[in-house]
Amino acid sequence: MKRLFACCLFAVGSCASGDSIIKVKGSDTEVNLAVQFAESFHEVNEEAIVSISGGGSGLGIASLINGNADIANSSRRINDEELKLFKEKKIVLDSFVFAQDAIAFVVAKDLPLDTISTIDLAKVLSGVYKNWEALTGKKVQINIYGRQNNSGTHDFVKQRLAIEFTPYAKQMNGNAQIIEAIKTDHSGIGYVGAGYVGHGANNETKVLYIKDGLTNRSVSPLDSASITAGLYFFQRPLFQYYRRSSISKIKAFLQFENSNQGQQIIRSAGYYPFK
Amino acid sequence: MMHYRREDTDRLFKYIFKAAGLLTIALLGGIFFMLLYNSIALFANIKPLDFFTGSQWNPESLNQKYGIAPLLASTFLVAIGSMAIAIPLGILTATYLSELAPGRLTQFLKPAIEMLAAIPSVAIGFLGIVLVGPGIAKLFGIQSGLNALNGSILLAVMSLPTIITISEDAIKAVPNTYREASLALGANRWQTIFKVTLPAAMPGLIAAVMLGLGRALGETMTVLMATGNASVIPRGFLDSIRTITATIAIEMGEVPYQTTHYFALFAIAAVLFLFTLFINLVGERYANQRRKFQE
Repeated sequence: MKRLFACCLFAVGSCASGDSIIKVKGSDTEVNLAVQFAESFHEVNEEAIVSISGGGSGLGIASLINGNADIANSSRRINDEELKLFKEKKIVLDSFVFAQDAIAFVVAKDLPLDTISTIDLAKVLSGVYKNWEALTGKKVQINIYGRQNNSGTHDFVKQRLAIEFTPYAKQMNGNAQIIEAIKTDHSGIGYVGAGYVGHGANNETKVLYIKDGLTNRSVSPLDSASITAGLYFFQRPLFQYYRRSSISKIKAFLQFENSNQGQQIIRSAGYYPFK
Repeated sequence: MMHYRREDTDRLFKYIFKAAGLLTIALLGGIFFMLLYNSIALFANIKPLDFFTGSQWNPESLNQKYGIAPLLASTFLVAIGSMAIAIPLGILTATYLSELAPGRLTQFLKPAIEMLAAIPSVAIGFLGIVLVGPGIAKLFGIQSGLNALNGSILLAVMSLPTIITISEDAIKAVPNTYREASLALGANRWQTIFKVTLPAAMPGLIAAVMLGLGRALGETMTVLMATGNASVIPRGFLDSIRTITATIAIEMGEVPYQTTHYFALFAIAAVLFLFTLFINLVGERYANQRRKFQE
């Protein structure tokens, strides 16, 4: 199970005390990227040990509150309820945006649709359109494959389109399963982090261009120039939250993420640097 | 002096065993208490009536909805579907193994069936995504095979080892005198099996079914992967469903700590716990009846 997935990097021979291990927990979207950071960081800096685990943005933030993590990865902004818990415990919180993610909408290759406007997309996801007739002329039922209703990704799509998802939307356990489902379902539409699509490498699915209802511009989430320019409708910052008091411990790691090598890792993992 | 020491050892081990037994009970009680304790916190915010009768589960929507009905309906739909497949298959297999199969074949089949229980549920769930799901979609001419039927088939496979092993023991335990009497009265082999042996083994068979059902109700990973997880009250076996276990598994990871939603997950876990506890108790009761009949 992915949420139990934990990657601990222990240097052979050196026995670091518990205090010097940087513990990073949180978003499943960011876990692959974070693992790559941790591995490269250890190569550069032999002394440093970073342990990464997933479990979701909410879990990361909860772990930060009760001291089980030094850094909480979150693919959404911290919410008011959580902020209140930090205040109650008198913990001063700082945040750091270390990369950007784009949400890609994926359909099967043979669906006769390449571009979808945000207006149509809102109708599809909220269940106003029950079949593809209005968009492709074919009267086949639309199957929506998304993430669970409290994942950062689900939340982001919902807020960005200002909709409530139809209860008939299927909720899959992770990005890889959504891609797997779209491969076999020729009338399905799913959303995943762009990092999971690969750059056009898959020949059973395709990534839709999203047409912004206001600007009428169609942009692909795989087009890094547009993402850098901030033109894609579903792009979002990936946050890292930490306690201000622990900055000395994690400073080197955050700087590494911001270094040229760090930015390179972000790009090769399918995410976009935040500049 | 030796016998003193031996008695001391005896007493010591008696305490150790007693402690082990009590620890297990304490664990069960502790889990139940924790579930209940956290569930009660939910009802400070949500009316119990809404929780049990609400027809929607959508905790993150604007007007949060915590209706357990679609989850319960899904859980039971998939479990009943799996039993509809697994009961006939399991009991017939058990009958074959204990009454008809030649000894050497039994020696091969029994371990093979027990191996079925050793397959990790993730692997079975994966089969559901890549094999059973597309198969169902093709067979029924629908687009997606991630539905209750898919879950039922996979859960049937997973509960078969439990049902077969316990049923076979039950059928084997029927005294041979029963069979001999039936045959002596002129009944043939089929009549003996269906009219005498199986009815005599009935308490054991019920126990087998109940324990299999408990397994199906509590299974998480397989249904999570194979049933699509749409939290609406299902209209049939070709609808996507969302069981209680799957809901807990997908939502627990990202739920904000100690919020209404967090407590709601404990509450549905408590409901599931009560159901499986009840079903297991019924199963155990029948299993014990069988033991009495053997004496």
